[in-house]
Amino acid sequence: MAKDLSLIRNFSIIAHIDHGKSTLADRILEQTGAVASRDMKEQLLDSMDLERERGITIKLNAVSLSYKAKDGKEYLFNLIDTPGHVDFTYEVSRSLAACEGALLVVDATQGVQAQTLANVYLAIDNDLAILPVINKVDLPSAMPDLVQDEIEKRVGISCEDACLVSAKTGLGVDEVLEKIVKDIPAPKGDPEKPLQALIFDSYYDPYRGVVIMMSVKNGSVKVGDTILLMQSGKEYLVTEVGIRTPSEMKVDSLSAGEVGYLAAQIKDIRDVFPGETVTLKGNPCEAPLPGYRRINPMVYCGLYPVDSKEYGDLKDALEKLCLNDASLHFVPETSQALGFGFRAGFLGLLHMDVIQERLEREYGLNLILTAPSVIYKIVMTNGEVLTIDNPSQLPDLSKVSRIEEPFVEASIMAPSEYVGPIMELCQQRRGTYRDLVYFDDTRVIVKYDLPLSEIIYNFFDKLKSNTRGYASLDYEFKDYRPSDLVKMDILLNGEQIDALSSIVYRPGAYKRGLSIVSRLKNIIPRQQFEVPIQAAIGGKVIARADIKSMRKDVLAKCYGGDISRKKKLLEKQKEGKKRMKAVGSVEVPQEAFMSVLSIEEDN
Amino acid sequence: MNEAPSSLYVHIPFCREICAYCDFPKVIYDKQWVKPYLDSLFLEISSYGGSKYKTIYVGGGTPTSLEDGDFKTLLSFLSPLLEKGGEFSVEANPESLTREKASMMKEAGVNRVSIGMQTSSKRLLSLLGRKHAYEEVEKAVSVLREVGIENINVDWMYALPKESDEEFEEDAKAILALGVPHISAYSLILEEGTLFKSKGIEEEPEDRQAELYERILKILRGAGYRRYEVSNFAKIGHECAHNMVYWRDERYVGCGLGAAGYIANTRYKNTRNLKSYIEGNWLSEKEEVGPKDDMEYFLITNLRLEEGFALDAFQSRFGKDFLSVKKGYYEPLVGKGLLLIEGGRVKPSEKGMLLLDSILRNLI
Repeated sequence: MAKDLSLIRNFSIIAHIDHGKSTLADRILEQTGAVASRDMKEQLLDSMDLERERGITIKLNAVSLSYKAKDGKEYLFNLIDTPGHVDFTYEVSRSLAACEGALLVVDATQGVQAQTLANVYLAIDNDLAILPVINKVDLPSAMPDLVQDEIEKRVGISCEDACLVSAKTGLGVDEVLEKIVKDIPAPKGDPEKPLQALIFDSYYDPYRGVVIMMSVKNGSVKVGDTILLMQSGKEYLVTEVGIRTPSEMKVDSLSAGEVGYLAAQIKDIRDVFPGETVTLKGNPCEAPLPGYRRINPMVYCGLYPVDSKEYGDLKDALEKLCLNDASLHFVPETSQALGFGFRAGFLGLLHMDVIQERLEREYGLNLILTAPSVIYKIVMTNGEVLTIDNPSQLPDLSKVSRIEEPFVEASIMAPSEYVGPIMELCQQRRGTYRDLVYFDDTRVIVKYDLPLSEIIYNFFDKLKSNTRGYASLDYEFKDYRPSDLVKMDILLNGEQIDALSSIVYRPGAYKRGLSIVSRLKNIIPRQQFEVPIQAAIGGKVIARADIKSMRKDVLAKCYGGDISRKKKLLEKQKEGKKRMKAVGSVEVPQEAFMSVLSIEEDN
Repeated sequence: MNEAPSSLYVHIPFCREICAYCDFPKVIYDKQWVKPYLDSLFLEISSYGGSKYKTIYVGGGTPTSLEDGDFKTLLSFLSPLLEKGGEFSVEANPESLTREKASMMKEAGVNRVSIGMQTSSKRLLSLLGRKHAYEEVEKAVSVLREVGIENINVDWMYALPKESDEEFEEDAKAILALGVPHISAYSLILEEGTLFKSKGIEEEPEDRQAELYERILKILRGAGYRRYEVSNFAKIGHECAHNMVYWRDERYVGCGLGAAGYIANTRYKNTRNLKSYIEGNWLSEKEEVGPKDDMEYFLITNLRLEEGFALDAFQSRFGKDFLSVKKGYYEPLVGKGLLLIEGGRVKPSEKGMLLLDSILRNLI
């Protein structure tokens, strides 16, 4: 039986990292009686280890809660989590499309951050009702009045009714729950219309196949129905539907306004992707729902198993990750140095980091990542235009008329006293100054056009350290511009290593070459023979450093008769070597491949 | 290969002082523990049966830290276990090697003594926590010669913290002046749980260690010593037979606190807890050595010898040809000039000897 739509509220929480989104979600879960507090792990919604460790939310998660409001009625709340980092705009737009409202959580001690703004604008674009929540009001340094003022001025939302809460102590959370009932509209769908449901997440379960997380916009679906995935055209028999509370609970059916999961023995994970519309085969809806604003990967890198036997495992793992991360792209790639692997595209560096860690942790793989690269446009002398995402694909420069690289418009928000260091950093990274706006009396937004290649590595860390952690960054792709770029090759023991090539800014190439070879010299351990490292541009060596051969690697004593101790020691050392890749005759540690980019610390 | 062990190692854990670098099982000398310890030790040794050994080695700790009466009891217990013509070694500290103890050893049939000299430098001795002076080493050597023990080893430690070239040269001169037929030269290794480690002292850089090792090699060879194992140098015919058992991967019984042994296809280690040992709970770990491990142990030990091992010996022990089972592994090492295959033997080259651990990581 269809639920009364007026008793359903679908919402998500928008917040900057560390502003307390997960803690607030936990309090809401507690106070709606969804989970007994003794069963709670800290921050239930962040379920991946990685998310807990980094205090960020990456994967989407949704929970259904029942809340008895002061009007005496029982409401169904669907809380859909959103990630909070600049790399995950696409994921945010996915979760927002499944909601009618959003809680905007702002830290009363820190105020609005650039990232929060970007996500709020996404929510406003999606016509969501926004409910301001000022968190951490219990802290001595809280300035709730100032922060409310700021939200009104900068975000343009009235803060007259803003909730003042402390998610940590639970203060004010009951008021938030009442406001969700009052201020967030009920979903508008019609349970009598043909089924129209939006897939916003999915995961693989070995017993049930692909499990779809979806938001039902119209109609209803029950066990035994045959569903049709509108874009892929695939049909499946529904074996289970349910909601997450947050543990899974089977229900008879899901109907308009509800958010839940669906299993249908879907074997091939490629058949399901976020943004797809689910309808019924026997009674299909007229048109699919508008999908998501699809964001293309900005950063590419090579992913290779250290042990080439793990190539197939890596492929399986990437496919599984793609299931709920449509922003992850990958195609097979072969490197002379590293063997078989994949070229993978990411939204940004954090996204890349997260995927790497998930592959290593959840799938037990041992990986080598090559230095990330942006997509370059190569205009050939014959007018042909190539796009390359791997420096080793750069054609012979004599046939190249120019190389263009992507530029982004970066907005950096920080207290005004840091304008100097921010501008200095942007200048160093070949930025073009655009604008400086005073946000309020103390804070500014600095706008620069920057080559994407200059900010994909370390820029954010550098920015944070230059501003004592106060700056926040948001950027979006602007255009392609010609730049004076060349390919720099690295030779180990006289052999060119394709995976170490990079595309660099010509005027800075010499310095960069020196820096790379000396960095590699420090990272690559001494071998059984001397190894020269050379940086070369167009076959001309511009920098060189030599790794001296190992001179002594033998334990003088052998622990009396305790030979097993010696054997264990050798085995332990051997285990350590497993994280190295034999490139030609040289054993190279994983981090060497990334080191090509980490240059600016040397300045 | 299940032949009966032909060697016996006996550990005496007592020391009058604790040296800053030592991580062997040891306790500060306390008279009340000596008798119970020796009682338990004798029980353990007898538990391996009464057959005789070709070599017996008494190490520590400091065997000569025992009082004369206890020392004599120990030697008298061991003496009948030695085969006629066998090697009977005892480790000694210079300051506790008295004429009385030397005579007791001679009487009990001890025919080889190893003296822990380490260095002749006052600065370095005091850094190591050693209480003797070089003059006591000279005296100990002459006392041994007077009682008729000529087969003497002296331990030499190099690459000590901030050891200068002058200090090194002094040591080389001092060692050679003793004219003993056997010298063990060890670089300082910093182990967890030692005083040095807790003081944050670091090993000398790899290049310095290598340089000093190469100088030792030159000096000792020039003086007529042959390097028969990574750290061991001897005049012809004075190689330590007991240690050769370890390097040839043969069987031996180990008794005493923390001692290790290898019997049939089992390697074992004794407890490092004195109380447990005295209560007769000798054993702490056992490892069954399967065919793969057996081969690895064989390579780890035999390749430490300058002569390496004979391809025939490998074939007869494992029923396999080394050159085929390790083909992809040994060839690059031969190519880099680290491993030699000549005269039917496999052995490390001059350069390979210094990089033995990296060779072994490639081979096992």
